[in-house]
Amino acid sequence: MRLPDSVTGSFLVVLGAAAAYGGWILPPVPGQPVGPNVFPLVIGTGLALCGLAIVFGIGHSFEEEEELIPLEDGQAAAPPPQGKLYGLRALLPPALLLFYVAAADRLGFIITAAIMVYITSTALGAKWKLALPLAALSPFAIHLIFGKLLRVPLPAGLLPTPW
Amino acid sequence: MLKTLLDAFALISTWEVIIAMFAASVYGLVIGSLPGLSATMATALLVPVTFYLSPIAAIATIVAASSMAIFSGDIPGALLRIPGTPASAAYADEAYAMTRKGQAELALGAGVWFSAVGGIAGVLSLMILAPPLAEIALSFSTYEYFWLALLGLMCATLVARSSPVKAIAGMFLGLLVSCVGIENPGGVPRFTFGITDLFGGIEPIPALVGVFAVAQVMRAMLTPEPPPLPRRKFGSIMAGQWKLTKMYHWQMTRGNIVGIIIGVLPGAGADMAAWVSYAMSKRFSKEPEKFGTGHVEGLVEAGASNNASIASGWVPSLLFGIPGDTIAAIAIGVLYMKGLNPGPTLFTEKASSMYAIYLMFIIANIMMIPLGIAMIRVAAYILLAPRSTVMPIIMLCCAVGSFAIGNNMFGVVTVAAFGVIGYVMEANGYPVAAMVLGIVMGTMVEQAFVTSLIKSDGSILPFFERPVAAILAAMAIGALLWPVMVWVWRKVKQPQTAAAASR
Repeated sequence: MRLPDSVTGSFLVVLGAAAAYGGWILPPVPGQPVGPNVFPLVIGTGLALCGLAIVFGIGHSFEEEEELIPLEDGQAAAPPPQGKLYGLRALLPPALLLFYVAAADRLGFIITAAIMVYITSTALGAKWKLALPLAALSPFAIHLIFGKLLRVPLPAGLLPTPW
Repeated sequence: MLKTLLDAFALISTWEVIIAMFAASVYGLVIGSLPGLSATMATALLVPVTFYLSPIAAIATIVAASSMAIFSGDIPGALLRIPGTPASAAYADEAYAMTRKGQAELALGAGVWFSAVGGIAGVLSLMILAPPLAEIALSFSTYEYFWLALLGLMCATLVARSSPVKAIAGMFLGLLVSCVGIENPGGVPRFTFGITDLFGGIEPIPALVGVFAVAQVMRAMLTPEPPPLPRRKFGSIMAGQWKLTKMYHWQMTRGNIVGIIIGVLPGAGADMAAWVSYAMSKRFSKEPEKFGTGHVEGLVEAGASNNASIASGWVPSLLFGIPGDTIAAIAIGVLYMKGLNPGPTLFTEKASSMYAIYLMFIIANIMMIPLGIAMIRVAAYILLAPRSTVMPIIMLCCAVGSFAIGNNMFGVVTVAAFGVIGYVMEANGYPVAAMVLGIVMGTMVEQAFVTSLIKSDGSILPFFERPVAAILAAMAIGALLWPVMVWVWRKVKQPQTAAAASR
């Protein structure tokens, strides 16, 4: 998800300006020259200036391209399939976390966690022979550590744990 | 003195601390050795567990896990040429070249031995540096704290291996995140958009877990699986290490000192220490032509350096609440949670706890030798675990851990959001460490800044009037202008070389 510097820079300009404006409209503390508004104002301005500098390519010469360590002996790995939607796979983990937030109270920890583990594992290339037992066992292990030992109130939902 | 030392011994000789340290060591060794799981991530995922431990046991887990993980990153570096943690990246090529020459034992042994020595040197620096600095820090006013915090933030942008403008932007982003909530000088809801969950502000720990753990799982989704480790039999691992110590004692000492200095600098951690020390070793070596062909000298120096930086990173953290590196940033969060608020008075009021921290660091580094050797022997089996089994469990730990911090689902949302932010930033060359530092230090910077402004009645002049404040101010402004000077110098030099070439 490499975006051009002009895009990220412009985004920072907008964000900085919004932060500065948001700070500006905060109510001041009566009888005091400085209040909660000063800090966002300073930061917002700074952020916007940095954004501008990035748009104009200042400081670009300092950047080092990340070196990928090539594999030895010509055993180059197969290049990953490059489809348009391939990059979107990266959004799977945060999406699964949001799924957990939405579903855990209703389905319960064990079921939600099993679904998360199965999907993540399959997305990383595991066959169902590996992913299925993993999804069946790991939620119980995690529940044992966090729910039983550390007493985190994990939601029981549809499938309460035997302990 | 003796009594505090005895008190400290009493604090750490409980079963809880001993078991916590041992378990955290094993955990740190395993996480550190798996490529793609860094020492910072190991520490971040440990935080929810520390909630349920006593203060000393909580710190023990962090100390043990971070020290072990930094060493164990050397293992896949030497065997696979894939560094387990970024701190081992500097010399992974060198160590792998040694393995190919049949000297894997020597390379890994040097990793264990000089890591342990470096770690102990780092603790000594913590013990020697911290008390006198605490003495000085007691006389600091908000002006000094403001400049110190700013200097810390600027250091983080200087050492980033990226564009300084992007690093500063990252820092501002972090500071902006810390603005959210009602904990500000006016006590008004700021940037909360009417969402009640945001009133308490954005917790640093879920943000850190998101940036370091979730972003890593996201990256794993797009990168190919690392190759499996070839099985091999190891000979004696510690053989020849004493000879190396005598032969390269000067390099080892230099590595320790460089590591300590870099650790103390805010924002610069073990990975930076390893890069600088490896480069220095090559620069000052009598046989620089051997570097890159499997020469142990650079390994000695860089291995001694990255572990030294781990302990010395706690110096600014304990004294000022300014993290020396990203691991210390997490440690600060735990310290606050456990009522050991960082500050110079920590050394007078909670002296026995401080001694306990020193002792735990020393014990962790001694334990590293036997545990490290055992880890090297079983590494081949641990590295067999495919990513598709490790990453889902990391995901579950992220979800449950961030929920456990406040027993509320908003923590999980924070983790997901910061996973995306961290991933996008990293992909576009914005250093994540700078943002993390901003998040952790934001409240402190704002407090120092606004209190100073109120005291000075809106005038800027008092910021420079006290002598220490003036020195710190000069350093902070110098750090800000440094990239500009480098840029100007390059511009001036370029036409000259061009002119010389055309002549």
